[in-house]
Amino acid sequence: MPASYERAIKLSGDLHARPAGALAVAAAKFASSVELTVGVNSANAKSVLGVMGLGATTGEHVTVSAAGPDAEEAVATVIAILTEATRVGA
Amino acid sequence: MSSAATVGIVLVSHSAALAEGAAELAGQIGGGTVPIIPAGGTEDGGIGTSSAKVERSLRLADAGAGVVILPDLGSAVLTVRALLAEPRDDLPQSVALADAPFVEGLVAATVAAATGADVKAVLAAAEEARHARKL
Repeated sequence: MPASYERAIKLSGDLHARPAGALAVAAAKFASSVELTVGVNSANAKSVLGVMGLGATTGEHVTVSAAGPDAEEAVATVIAILTEATRVGA
Repeated sequence: MSSAATVGIVLVSHSAALAEGAAELAGQIGGGTVPIIPAGGTEDGGIGTSSAKVERSLRLADAGAGVVILPDLGSAVLTVRALLAEPRDDLPQSVALADAPFVEGLVAATVAAATGADVKAVLAAAEEARHARKL
């Protein structure tokens, strides 16, 4: 199990308040630290206000990185939420 | 940090519409798992706060894990403080009053409560919202 893990995703929609909430709730369940990076801005994925403050929009690349015992699972979970929540029409 | 029950949230606002709207918004963000009870306006529907409304809302919000109260402005704080000043058997055992921005504090507290955090952690999440930048 890797101690740190990272994946990037290109958003197919804007990251609105509702998915930001779902993302923060999901991220908080992991022991690992989880961070989102968009351009030069980063936020703790467990902080809903931090995630909203990123203002990530359609077409932007979001890098999800995690460090800790469940880093890979944490990244996979957050990527899945970003994929689903920003899907056009979702 | 987690317990079986979810911490509830009570919104004490001078306006019933403001409290209800904020509760609706946070309910969407939190996925509907956290009891968020609006206690806005006076008993006759005017602008102001009502101790009796806050009392009822505290009982509705408590699922056994306690309640965090978010006030909108100064005299909402006074209403809550007066209510909590004396120990009462008929109110939830664990109640905390948050010194936090109304909307951001509510959203942060809702997410914390949804993760199973206790009253202390939900209160901390609300109060940390003061430092979150909007832009």
